[in-house]
Order: sequence, then structure tokens, then C-alpha cells
Amino acid sequence: MSPFEVQLRRDLRLGWAGRGDMAVMLGFFLIILTLVPLAVGPDAAFLQPIAVPMIWIAAMLSSLAGFTRIFSEDVRCGWVDQVALSPLPLPLYVIAKAATHWVIGAVPMLLATPLMALMLYMDTSHLPALLLALVLGTAALTLLGAIGAALTEGARGGGGLMAVLVLPLAMPVLIFGALASAPADGGIVTPHLMLLGAVLAVLLAVAPFIAAAALSETESESGA
Amino acid sequence: MSATQPDNANKSTAHDSLVRDAGAPPAGLRVDGVALVRGGRLVQNALSLAMVAGEVTLLRGPNGSGKSTLLRTIAGRLPAAAGAIECNVPVLYIGHADGLSPALTGRQNLADWAMLNGLVDDDAAIDAALDRMQARAFADLPVRRLSHGQRRRVALARLTLGPSSALWLLDEPNSGLDAASSIALDDLISDHLEGGGMVLAATHLPLGITHSPRTLVLEDMA
Repeated sequence: MSPFEVQLRRDLRLGWAGRGDMAVMLGFFLIILTLVPLAVGPDAAFLQPIAVPMIWIAAMLSSLAGFTRIFSEDVRCGWVDQVALSPLPLPLYVIAKAATHWVIGAVPMLLATPLMALMLYMDTSHLPALLLALVLGTAALTLLGAIGAALTEGARGGGGLMAVLVLPLAMPVLIFGALASAPADGGIVTPHLMLLGAVLAVLLAVAPFIAAAALSETESESGA
Repeated sequence: MSATQPDNANKSTAHDSLVRDAGAPPAGLRVDGVALVRGGRLVQNALSLAMVAGEVTLLRGPNGSGKSTLLRTIAGRLPAAAGAIECNVPVLYIGHADGLSPALTGRQNLADWAMLNGLVDDDAAIDAALDRMQARAFADLPVRRLSHGQRRRVALARLTLGPSSALWLLDEPNSGLDAASSIALDDLISDHLEGGGMVLAATHLPLGITHSPRTLVLEDMA
């Protein structure tokens, strides 16, 4: 088993052990979207136009709630120190962390999305496009979150700081994602989806290195 | 490996450290005029230290004098503000934090670490390592349920799995250990030195090792 696979398997175990944390993310996603009809009123004419944008905003905000956990436990307990001294390069470690975080955090949200789309009277013919865009978008968000989490690791009030750091950078994801989710001509692969894919590709190339640089000198708990 | 850049020379030890062949001459650690900065404050301005195979050095000094910072710097987890660090042997670092994820069992933590470093991946070797620190009885409990001393013992069990030429960087290794495990640790260190390894330890408690240690006293720079 390669070091990368070892780390991946470890993260899946950790994710499963911490599944309660991830259930909080899913709960947050469901609650935000349940609040929309309560605030706007149950009228399809009002809900339908805002269904896609609200699903995107909810996905973004609930993802944000989970990002602080990507590295915090590993830094606190000193595992990052051990990884830094091992043959596993830190950027690969970051990819393993981000990938498992996406699987455990974002996939349940994607599975709940059709139900939420029904509740908001979304045009169901857009559902495949919405899900595809959400897959790319949440993956890109997770990579941004990994950068934010690594940079604010150890900072006081890291969570709030991270939101301020990550949300502006996440705007392209939101813009292209929302446009790609409601294609005008019914096609699934739109230019917006391709641009969203391009954002993901760029993040995939740079985020592991930025996060690894930030993690290369993090301090474990009382690791004076 | 012979990294010579003044700043983060030791960083390059990070990636191929534990699986490198031990034949490279001459094995040792050289710390040359290293300045340590901790929390924006200069704690040491010019530390020098040289070690070769089979040697043990104890770091002494008051709290805040930079003992842990020096160990983290040699491990490549902090940059040296000045000076050079050369180390051409694998490094095993056991800091204040044990490097054990609280949600996983001691055995999983140890096995993951061993596989991450490409050392061993059979249960028997892990069991033997746990036995050396008398940690097998509680190795299948999640680490969060272990006491401080028990965690320490699981963390120290790593030492038995590493290569014999390794430099051990130990930060207060025997804090929280009971008498029996302190002796087990002393034996571990003695055996490692016997086998040509090196040990650099920061400790306030005495170690009962057979080799006579050199002592490096870090003065407070207040």
C-alpha cells in the first residue's frame, strides 16, 4: 500500500469516526433550504426562480461550516508533524484530506439535493445539470476550503477568518455554478459548466501546494 | 543527504528520510550557529552541536529556553532564523503532541505510521513494537480513552519500528510514564545507541541509560 493510500484509508476511517460532525453539515444544508419557503411563502411562482440560487448558497454555507475540521485534529495531535517527516509529500496529504472531506461532507448533500429541489418547485428537467454542476462546484469549494483551513490553522477565531478568506474566492464557483445549473437550452454541458470545470482544474493544480506550504510550519498543541 | 542551505536545509530530510539506505558516510547531525526564534522573540542566538552514531545528548535548560524549538527545527518543522543544520540520517520525532489521532485506536495509529513510512505492515511487528512499551493491553482502545502516559507509550512504540541508524528527537519522552515504562524507554534508548543510533532528548527527568550522555545546557536569554 502506498503512503497516499495509507493516508486515504486513514482519513476515511477518521471521517467515519467523526460522521456526527458531517451530519451537522448536512443538517445545516437542509435547514437553510427549509427556511426559504418559510420566509418566502409556499407559492411556486416565488420559489421556482430562486430554487437553484438558494441550493447553491446553502451548499456553499454548509460546506464552509465543515472546512475548519479538515486539518485541525491532525495538526493538534501532531500527525502533520509525522507526515512531514514521512515519504508522503504534504501536497499529496492535502489531496487525501480534501478528497475524503468531499466524499464525507459533500456527497450526502448531493444526495439530499433532489428532495430539496422538489420542495422548492425547481424545474426537474434541470436536475441533472444542477447535480453535475454541484459535483464540480463542491469539489472546487473543498479545495478552497483546504487552503483557508491550512492558512488559518492555529489562528484565533480561525473559522470566521476563514469565511472571510474563502467566500470572496468562491464567487466564480457560485456564478458559473448557478448559471450551469439552469441551462437555457436544456443541454447539460454548457460553457458555464466548462468554466466551472476550469476553476476546479486550476484549484486542483495549485491548492495542494498552497495548503501544504501553510501546513509546513504549523504548530501542534503546546509544541513549543 | 547533505543539505547545506542555511535556512531550511533540514527540510529536505522530510521526504526520503526513513527509507534511505544507511550506508551514506559519515552518519551524524551537525548544528552550526543556529538561531531560534519563538513567538517573535529570539530564544537562542548561536547554538552549535555535533553528534555521530552511538551518541546521546540531553538538552537541559529552563522552560522557554528553546529546547522544544530546537528539536522542531532539527525535525524541519520550524525554520532556523540563522545558521545551518545538516543531518544525513533518518529522523524520528516525538514531540509534545503524540501524533495519535484520538478517534482511532493505538494500533491503527501505529500501523498507519509504519505503513506511511514504508517500514512494516504485518501485525506481528506492530504487536512486538507495542510489547516493547507494554502498550498492547490498551492498543485496541480509541486513543481518546487513554491516559496521557498510555498515549505516550503508544507513541514511543514507534521508535522500535524505525531504522537503527535513525536520529531520535525526543521531547520530554518520559513525562507521564510510570516506573516500568520509564525503564522500558531507557532500555529502548540504550539498545538504539548500542545499534549505532543517535538520540537527542529534551528532558527534565533523569534517564537511566547505560551510555553516558553529553549535556547541552540552553541558557535563558532574558
